[in-house]
Amino acid sequence: MTLFEEMRQAIIDGKAPVAKELTEKALIKGIKPADIFPKVIVPAMDEVGHRMRNCEFFIPEVLIAARAARACTDILRPLLVDDAAARSVGTVVCCTVKGDLHDIGKNIVSMMLESAGFRIVDLGADVSPDNIVAAVREHNANLVALSALLTTTMVNMKAVIEGLAAAGLREQVKVMVGGAPVTESWAQSIGADGYGKDAPAAVDLARSLVAA
Amino acid sequence: MEPAKKHRIVLQPIQVELTAPEGTPLRDLLFEQGVEFPCGGRGRCRGCRVRVHEGKVEVNDAQRERLSAEELKNGWRLACQCSLAGDLVVELRQWDAAILADDSPFVFEPRPGLGVAVDLGTTTLVAQLLDLTTGRVLAVRTALNAQARYGADVMSRIEYAIAGDHLPALADLIRRQIWSLIEQMVFSSKARRGEIRDVVLVGNTVMHHLFCGLDVEPLSHYPFESPHTGLQQFRAGDLGWDLNPEAAIRFLPCLGGFVGSDVLAGVLTTRLSESEEIGALVDLGTNGEIVVGNSAGLVCASTAAGPAFEGARISMGMRAATGAISQVAVENQRLVCHVLGNAAPQGLCGSGLVDAVAAGLDLEVIETSGRFSNGRKEWTIALPVELTQSDIRELQLAKGAIAAGFRILLERLGAGVGDVKKLYLAGAFGNYISRASARRIGLIDLPIDQVAPAGNTALLGAKLALFSGDGEDGSYVQLRRKIEHVALKSDAKFQQVFVDGLAFPQPSHVQG
Repeated sequence: MTLFEEMRQAIIDGKAPVAKELTEKALIKGIKPADIFPKVIVPAMDEVGHRMRNCEFFIPEVLIAARAARACTDILRPLLVDDAAARSVGTVVCCTVKGDLHDIGKNIVSMMLESAGFRIVDLGADVSPDNIVAAVREHNANLVALSALLTTTMVNMKAVIEGLAAAGLREQVKVMVGGAPVTESWAQSIGADGYGKDAPAAVDLARSLVAA
Repeated sequence: MEPAKKHRIVLQPIQVELTAPEGTPLRDLLFEQGVEFPCGGRGRCRGCRVRVHEGKVEVNDAQRERLSAEELKNGWRLACQCSLAGDLVVELRQWDAAILADDSPFVFEPRPGLGVAVDLGTTTLVAQLLDLTTGRVLAVRTALNAQARYGADVMSRIEYAIAGDHLPALADLIRRQIWSLIEQMVFSSKARRGEIRDVVLVGNTVMHHLFCGLDVEPLSHYPFESPHTGLQQFRAGDLGWDLNPEAAIRFLPCLGGFVGSDVLAGVLTTRLSESEEIGALVDLGTNGEIVVGNSAGLVCASTAAGPAFEGARISMGMRAATGAISQVAVENQRLVCHVLGNAAPQGLCGSGLVDAVAAGLDLEVIETSGRFSNGRKEWTIALPVELTQSDIRELQLAKGAIAAGFRILLERLGAGVGDVKKLYLAGAFGNYISRASARRIGLIDLPIDQVAPAGNTALLGAKLALFSGDGEDGSYVQLRRKIEHVALKSDAKFQQVFVDGLAFPQPSHVQG
């Protein structure tokens, strides 16, 4: 197995200490930090997403794999400062909407987006439209990812989109929505830019939205 | 205007034939036949699907989103999205619910007159008419909650109540329905309506609010606390019930959050608060409710377990009705299934699902992570019924939520699982689930001789309250003060405990 293969496997298996050790080893060998993202972290988390979609991986496996990926990115990020590749794919403000505390799904999406090279501004759970608007402005975000797990809180997604429009930021950001009760037609009806039916779909969607 | 053209619709396999005007929503026709609409008829789930054998019904976007091209081709439709456009023959996926009424003996102080006890469930209603002198049950009526067509679970019903200002209509609907049950009981038992002195209702917080006409908006979002959880008292005239004007009608107080008087009644029944030993009461449902404690004090919580225990969101899941595999056992390395109604197997109900996964763990077809071993994609339980990987995941979510809630409540008491001497399982599901299988999957981490099915503890508790006197002097009032409600979602540890508890226990742990 090549070093890159070993690193990918350590992430997929959720072995954070191994992933960390191999990352340090790679750096000592002179491998550029910027190369490790596209060759290790992104494909490893894509594989995790694939297995999750097949129900082969479940929440615990996805969370520990994401933790292992984070062990690598924590080492790599500070080294990327002056590198051209340090410019992230995009900046995502993510949270669960007002009234909703169910954030396991949001956490998985944010970690997978982070592994895919996005800069994440995670506002946590139960976040008001005003705070989301403020974060978009402050971080100059180009994506907002909203999650809701209740039919009664899902309606607050609409308030966020209206808030962004009122603040004159709607043109600047794409809004993606997800969560158990959310559907494609709901996303369209509130004027969101996309709907991710699961975490891997959310990553694909985020990539296509920033590319558009 | 000409009257609308009428069409004939035949429902299989129940062989019911109906006639209705063109354009009638199938939802209205089917609801009357006991078909449920889990998402409230919004086209968001697949619960109401029917197969069209003869005739034509339209396909819309909601159906294309929820049904595969192959399913659509084979005639499957979402009943909630269709209306009558011609003669039809359709096959229903659902059957009538088996409702648990209570007939266990109880201790009472005789009083003159008659009383009515009502367990107002989200899905089902049970009402009993009692002779308060003898404690004898004179009549029983059960029904599906008429509000269910506006949402099967509490959240979708709250949404319906808020979205269109439908609260008064929902309150009116349930008050009329319960009155109709009372009238039927009076009629069938030849009792005198004027002798009804006392009516006691119990139900979860949402049912309490929707009956009493209280605003459910506070229950729609975090922190899910309503200011109006107390005892609600009515006179017959307030509700439009033709009873003695002196009759007292009481909806017992909620415990907090979604935990309602049905659980309070359960504690009254199981006497958890009278024992020095720590005991627990668990009601397994979409909202799992848990109470733990002893005479020193009790804590309670509700935890969103999802609908897996009711067979929903399971690929071949169904209610405990004819054709449901309700038990699965392993004999000589082979599966032996019990099918309800002595019929060919059609699906898995909650107890069958728990058994099937426990059997899969014992046969090592399923790993403790919940993954099928050897790259298997599905597992045949009894043809044509299969268990899929995603079914196991749904069950893991449900049991993880209950197990995490139980663990956190015990921590609040400064106790561990080993300190619990008795655990009562309330409700219909608690009656049918195998205790050994529940332990094998880690739903309940107690030796099975300490776990007891307790039947409809809500109804029994409502009956006990009938004998505990008027107003605020009843023993349930003191009891309520002893029970503290814990909001699990506000507990920082909940998420971690939940994720840690998703895997299944190692076999050695369960046998030891």
